Amino acid sequence: MKNPVTASLGRMYAIMRNTFIEAYRNRAFVGLGIASVGLVVSSIALSRLAISDQASRVLVDFGLFSIALLEVVIAIVMGVILIFKEVDRKTFYLILPKPVRRSEVVAGKFGGLLLVLAVALLLMGLAWVLSLWSRGIDLQPDMFKALALVWMEAALITSVALFFSSFASPVLSGVFTFGVFLVGRSVIILDELLTAKKGLIVQNPVVQTIASFTVDVFPDLSVFNIGKEIIVGVPVGWDYVGGAGLYCAGYCLCFLALAMLIFRRRDFV
Amino acid sequence: MDHVIEVEGLAKTFRPPFRTRKVEAVKSVTFAVEKGEVYGFLGPNGAGKTTTIKVLTGLIRPTAGKVAVLGGAPRDIGVRQRVGFLPEQPYFYDYLKPRELLDTFGRLFGMDRALRKRRIDELLELVGLTHARERRLRKFSKGMLQRVGIAQALLNDPELIILDEPMSGLDPIGRKEVSDLVASLKAEGKTIFFSSHILADIERLCDRVMIIDQGLMKAAGRLGELLAGGRQEKEVLVGGDKDVSGIAEKPGVVRVEAMGADATKIVCSGAGFEDVLRGLLDGGFSVVSVTDGRMSLESLIMDLAGQGAEPPTGEVAP
Repeated sequence: MKNPVTASLGRMYAIMRNTFIEAYRNRAFVGLGIASVGLVVSSIALSRLAISDQASRVLVDFGLFSIALLEVVIAIVMGVILIFKEVDRKTFYLILPKPVRRSEVVAGKFGGLLLVLAVALLLMGLAWVLSLWSRGIDLQPDMFKALALVWMEAALITSVALFFSSFASPVLSGVFTFGVFLVGRSVIILDELLTAKKGLIVQNPVVQTIASFTVDVFPDLSVFNIGKEIIVGVPVGWDYVGGAGLYCAGYCLCFLALAMLIFRRRDFV
Repeated sequence: MDHVIEVEGLAKTFRPPFRTRKVEAVKSVTFAVEKGEVYGFLGPNGAGKTTTIKVLTGLIRPTAGKVAVLGGAPRDIGVRQRVGFLPEQPYFYDYLKPRELLDTFGRLFGMDRALRKRRIDELLELVGLTHARERRLRKFSKGMLQRVGIAQALLNDPELIILDEPMSGLDPIGRKEVSDLVASLKAEGKTIFFSSHILADIERLCDRVMIIDQGLMKAAGRLGELLAGGRQEKEVLVGGDKDVSGIAEKPGVVRVEAMGADATKIVCSGAGFEDVLRGLLDGGFSVVSVTDGRMSLESLIMDLAGQGAEPPTGEVAP
């Protein structure tokens, strides 16, 4: 008799493995390779256009921004279509009657997507590092920390996408998830406006309440962006990366728990 | 008697998106399947067969009623470990090969690597797909996919096998192979619950049947009892290509079947038989043979379709 925890992990691994195989046998992965090459070429081209002492800044900033954007796009697109595709193609009719909990299916799918994001990050990160190396820019440990944080941000967005796709159509899920991403990226600005002495936000109580609620509830995605620190040479410790990891894990758990709750009650007609 | 499936007063209502009116897919269904029997589930399209099967496999929850599979809830992991299921027109991950697909499902059943390999080899051999084990599923024909579906339903060596239209998409040889497979699984002591439109297979394979129409159970019981309880029929074989449409309109005629280009079979009820026969002889038709027959399953289903909730024979619906 297998230990229930080991058995559950085994089932989640099976779903995760299948999700990953689906992604890498998809043509989208070829597109990812092309995007990585495009990233190297465009970064180098842009850095050549920049004033000589700004070249490294452009390469670091543009490279990180592009990687983060592509990771988030992968997270949103794959996150919103993954469950929908299983329902639409009726492949769930074969999976769900097997001895697997629906929560394990959601967790397995999430795990598979994290793996896809990690491989994509590895490819794009490699392209970025190559572009830095080709321009003679010294590689710093913080650059790798920045990549790890980009992956965390994408992981959080994936959990949001899975949550929305557990009850909404892919288009709506995509719109909602992108909305959360935009708000998440703006939380830091909103927080600054809330602490200002004057302005619409602090002067109108209704707007202030909404802004405070947004800052309190939505994830602050600026936590995962350390591009500025790298450019100005402010060191970022592993303790910061660890803290950001916990922050990401907390949000992921909340969104996944909600997704599991909805998915568990859903009828597959 | 051990009941492998127990369903009591099952009802399922759906509310389609953006609609206010509810759809009652299953209104009231009660039945029990005994251990080791082959139970046929019959009914026209939209009768509620697939909805009932989805409840049995935990894909949907019942709106009302009690459902027990192998003594537990359909969604119980321990129950599912002992059940094999083939959905109607199964859809697969077409980027996988049959070996990979079965391997993924084997992992969900908690089978170790050696057991998975052995079962996959055995089952691909059983369904005649050993030669295609390394071919992507997107390149498979409908019949080949159905065979993969049967293989995955047997992967865990289940006690209960639920098959939704298992003959669908198969050629005559494939149908014969599935029929033989069902018979051999029965001989091994497995319980099989299957729905099919192919009445000959149901008549040949099933110990008991249930007929459902418009979400209501119409009849259930041993096939012999159900058919014996119905009206007696006579089959008149008429030779030649003379038009029989005038005779077909007589009240005693149940149905008319063309038997090739130069023969027609007229199935009539016992009461109307004499009138039909007289009409044929007076009309100068060539009557080749007259045979006594019990009521066919097809006639029984046709009779029950559109009737009220009360079953005419066999077990009584609630």
